[in-house]
Amino acid sequence: MLGFPNGSGGDGVGAEDLSQLQSTMRAIELACSYIQINSNPVAAEATILSLHQSPQPYKACRYILENSQVANARFQAAAAIREAAIREWSFLATDDKGGLISFCLGYVMQHANSSEGYVLSKVSSVAAQLMKRGWLEFTPADKEVFFYQINQAILGSRGLDVQFIGINFLESLVSEFSPSTSSAMGLPREFHENCRKSLEQNFLKTFYQWAKDAALSVTNKIIASHSSVPEVKVCNATLRLMYQILNWEFRYSKGGGTRASINVFSDGIRVDNALARKTECVIVQPGASWCDVLLSSSHVGWLINLYSSVRQKFDLEGYWLDCPVAVSARKLIVQLCSLAGEIFPSNNAQMREQHLLLLLSGVLPWIDPPDVISKEIEEGKSGSEMIDGCRALLSIGTVTTPVVFDQLLRSLRPFGTLTLLSMLMGEVVKVLMANSTDEETWSYEARDILLDTWTTLLASMDGSGGNAWLPPEGMHAAASLFSLIVESELKVASASGRGTVDPTETLEEVYSLLLIIGHVLADEGEGETALVPDAVQSHFVDVVEANNHPVVVLSSSIIKFAEQCLDAEMRSSIFSPRLMEAVIWFLARWSFTYLMLVEDCNLGSNQLQSLPSRACLFTFFNEHNQGKFVLDIIVRISLTSLMSFPGEKDLQELTCFQLLHALVRRRNICFHLLSLDSWRNLANAFANDKSLFLLNSVSQRSLAQTLVLSAYGMQSSDASNQYVKDLMAHMTSSLVDLTNNSDLKNLAQQPDIIMLVSCVLERLRGAASATEPRTQRAVYEMGLSVMNPVLRLLEVYKHESAVIYLLLKFVVDWVDGQLSYLEAHETAVVINFCMSLLQIYSSHNIGKISLSLSSTLLNEAKTEKYKDLRALLQLLSHLCSKDMVDFSSDSIETQSTNISQVVYFGLHIITPLITLELLKYPKLCFDYFSLISHMLEVYPETLAQLNNDAFSHVLTTVDFGLHQQDVDIVTMCLRALKALASYHYKEKNAGNSGLGSHAAGHTDPNGVFHEGILSRFLRTLLHFLLFEDYSTDLVSTAADALFPLILCEPNLYQGLGNELIEKQANPNFKTRLANALQVLTTSNQLSSSLDRLNYQRFRKNLNNFLVEVRGFLKTR
Amino acid sequence: MSDDEHHFESSESGASKTYPQQAGNIRKGGHIVIKGRPCKVVEVSTSKTGKHGHAKCHFVAIDIFNAKKLEDIVPSSHNCDVPHVNRVDYQLIDISEDGFVSLLTDSGGTKDDLKLPTDDALAAQMRSGFEEGKDVVVSVMSSMGEEQICAVKEVGGGK
Repeated sequence: MLGFPNGSGGDGVGAEDLSQLQSTMRAIELACSYIQINSNPVAAEATILSLHQSPQPYKACRYILENSQVANARFQAAAAIREAAIREWSFLATDDKGGLISFCLGYVMQHANSSEGYVLSKVSSVAAQLMKRGWLEFTPADKEVFFYQINQAILGSRGLDVQFIGINFLESLVSEFSPSTSSAMGLPREFHENCRKSLEQNFLKTFYQWAKDAALSVTNKIIASHSSVPEVKVCNATLRLMYQILNWEFRYSKGGGTRASINVFSDGIRVDNALARKTECVIVQPGASWCDVLLSSSHVGWLINLYSSVRQKFDLEGYWLDCPVAVSARKLIVQLCSLAGEIFPSNNAQMREQHLLLLLSGVLPWIDPPDVISKEIEEGKSGSEMIDGCRALLSIGTVTTPVVFDQLLRSLRPFGTLTLLSMLMGEVVKVLMANSTDEETWSYEARDILLDTWTTLLASMDGSGGNAWLPPEGMHAAASLFSLIVESELKVASASGRGTVDPTETLEEVYSLLLIIGHVLADEGEGETALVPDAVQSHFVDVVEANNHPVVVLSSSIIKFAEQCLDAEMRSSIFSPRLMEAVIWFLARWSFTYLMLVEDCNLGSNQLQSLPSRACLFTFFNEHNQGKFVLDIIVRISLTSLMSFPGEKDLQELTCFQLLHALVRRRNICFHLLSLDSWRNLANAFANDKSLFLLNSVSQRSLAQTLVLSAYGMQSSDASNQYVKDLMAHMTSSLVDLTNNSDLKNLAQQPDIIMLVSCVLERLRGAASATEPRTQRAVYEMGLSVMNPVLRLLEVYKHESAVIYLLLKFVVDWVDGQLSYLEAHETAVVINFCMSLLQIYSSHNIGKISLSLSSTLLNEAKTEKYKDLRALLQLLSHLCSKDMVDFSSDSIETQSTNISQVVYFGLHIITPLITLELLKYPKLCFDYFSLISHMLEVYPETLAQLNNDAFSHVLTTVDFGLHQQDVDIVTMCLRALKALASYHYKEKNAGNSGLGSHAAGHTDPNGVFHEGILSRFLRTLLHFLLFEDYSTDLVSTAADALFPLILCEPNLYQGLGNELIEKQANPNFKTRLANALQVLTTSNQLSSSLDRLNYQRFRKNLNNFLVEVRGFLKTR
Repeated sequence: MSDDEHHFESSESGASKTYPQQAGNIRKGGHIVIKGRPCKVVEVSTSKTGKHGHAKCHFVAIDIFNAKKLEDIVPSSHNCDVPHVNRVDYQLIDISEDGFVSLLTDSGGTKDDLKLPTDDALAAQMRSGFEEGKDVVVSVMSSMGEEQICAVKEVGGGK
């Protein structure tokens, strides 16, 4: 009926049909050639598309495939078969389904020697896709028939070409069944997962075996022949197939593959294991059943032999290393290096080592001896083999411990693998340094892979106990590699100096050395207390006198060198801005780890504590010894770098952020700082010296913050407050003076005034962000005194967006620092101030249209507005926090201001400014939704009071937020929904109106009914959960939102459920869905009260529900 | 602490059109004079030319009147000229046939020497707001002897 009667060719084709078929063929051929010469491609494409879309085009396609001389037409015919068959699959008779596949397979075998390879691969992949489509309906006997045919082909009885085709087909089949490479078929995920499982458990190993046999059948010929023979093509295909199979993501190897349902959430996520985290290197874990194929059958030995004997034969032919077959063989070898897991019996550790040893011995000739090989490569040999050798080392390093890794080579060479690794990388670094071009060469790639290998090996020793140290020889190897790298880096650095007389050469060396020493002596310590590195503590055990301790000697000499920059002459001749950056960076890093350590604070592991060498290192730079002296030098150097290197932004930022800021973070250092003349000089310069007004804005802010923080070192709280007052008085009074000036409007527009105002605002902001209990009073008064000026400036600078932003940010930081300490009357003052600020801001910005002369300026304006709004949102969030954290002495009852009212008022003012367009900025989006979800959770009742516009605006944004990619945003929206629905439900039960008309829905003047917001969100959320893509992390939060929604709208939920069931065509799915829906709301003794226990039960229920139904609801 | 260092003073009458400012201090969003034109800075990058040389600032800026893009490179410790940019709000009182507008100044006089902006959206906004009888407030930006309407805002008040 479909033109594919099994077996009996095209005999039944009548004369009329024949002419019809011929004309179709001609039309398609014509269309294909038109596309090729690009003449009227649209019409041509339409012709081809009509073939694809016509019902049951199989007869025509078959005719074209068998008779057309135009290869492209045959290609299109094959594509049309695929498309039509997938579309019409469920209507095809079982015989026809099989017939289509047999036809495709038969076709490729018959035409195996055709030169148009792409047509054959297409037909072969069509066969693979159709086979997958029918995989779950075909009986084992059906499949047997197909695979018998394939196996025969692969065995080689029908010639090399057919053999190649057979292997090629399996390649397509495997890639079709692997989730990451499969083609879409519009079927449930569960289908794909079942296919994958079936193939992995029942066929994959057989395929591998077939590939092995096929390879065996041709290798003798290849080894014996002297020129490249056609067998090579087959051999290459088998190697590729084996590689592909080993790349399969094995999931059912652990014997746990009997789960009834398939968890679609974990789809695509690799089953976690301890090894995988070490690197990105793929680990192959096919499971115990693969032992015979891969290990006990001397498969590896055969492969290594094959590669090495062919390699030997073609030794003189340089091109051979990059031949496809050589590349495939090496890939397979590397892949076998990362074999791990249950395939190695746990009672036989030797087997695994033998396996790795065998591989290593095969790989060794690619990389050893390193110097000879790198020389050959530099002389023109291909570097690909060496790079694959490095990859093999990486793989082996990933699946072994450092000790085992090192031991492997010892049976073959007088040294360990680590030594080889070190030698190899040494050679690579040498080559890299010799030709320091920017071009990507083999040495770049090799270096990166080898670095990964070291990282993999060393990371496993990172505090996780176990093999804590490298074997001694390995340590030596690593150390000599390191010194080689340092040496060559220095050589490169000094080589970049120009003349022989100028000191640049030495300076370059000093510059690099400072960086290297900094990394060696101290750890990064980002965000935590940096410890003296264990290695530094545990070495030099025989040193008992501080003056002889290498670390002390090295540190002291660097500090002495750095001190030279205080001398103006030295500074101008030696200390370039770059060198100064290195000095400051080093001092920051060093002082964080070594300067004025508090006893027992920066100590490392306990076992090292008793070492005398350690004690002398620790006490040398403490407060009773050299510490204070060094601290003074460091402060003087800092002041120099801020004052004497004008315009060097990076240098100043380093000084402010890294060095000074790190110093004042340590309380004990603050006490000493305040007693130093140099620190007083710094504070004086900050308040009075013009040149510090020239620092860039972030440095200004940071410096102000640093100085205010250092006030902690004063004896009493009063003294600290006085210190801050003196420090900032000048800034506040200058702002007050300015705003009192009668000509403010004109004055303010002058660039020098704008700059001074900006500068002062940055400083105030810095001071505000340094609020601590001890200095809170002074900082509060500082802000109080500039409240009016701030509002005046907000008015005056309404067109100067940069200043507006600074004003807002100052207020944000100040409120954040102060609010929790304030008494009721002070809170009221602050809140009124914030309200005025919001009103002035929005009165300037609502309804404003700016000139869009250029798109860049327009974008600028948008960005500015976005930053402003974000600052305002932060302000509102900070105001909210008063209800949570409050240190004031007033009791809760006397609280005169209702924060929630204030923030809702604020939301009224700024929500009109927030557009969905603006919410596309991730940070703004985050701030906005954290505020909204917080508001809804804490004050749902105030939401009900919002006017209609504002209410619906807020909920539109929540709806928008639900569809964001960011998990955090969606979580916050779900929390908001939960709060909303549970509030409504509880109020209703208590006999109140809850959300009232917002929830009930309303009929508009045109008679159209608008459903209530809870119904709307119930729909949205159900659709989201069932049909959209999201992270599994969201399920619990979604459950918390869905549960109260269902309780609020039980009827709608019933209806939606029924609708969903009705939509299922498959009766089996229908029952499964109905059951699942039933279980969702009844199992686990779920009741209808919103308490913790019920939420937990519902979470569990929803999770089971989704696991059960997502598999067939979600299609691919 | 002495306080006579930085008083805020009006610069002398006939104020200079520009003010010198260190290049390292000019930020994105600020103003700068490049090739004699007042510009708004849209991009600043600092580069370190030469191994031990001084940092230089690379400015990309847009002419605030004609939107042409200009670029400049200045050592970060040197001074650049920063233009005085003034923006004044006026109420719109009339739009004449020939495209000139009539504006009400703070002191109650009128200012009649400005044309409708070349930007169509902005001009249309002004016209429609004006025809609907709303209060239309326009911002006029002036710098280095040039003037232009740069923004418009309607303040309700319509019928």
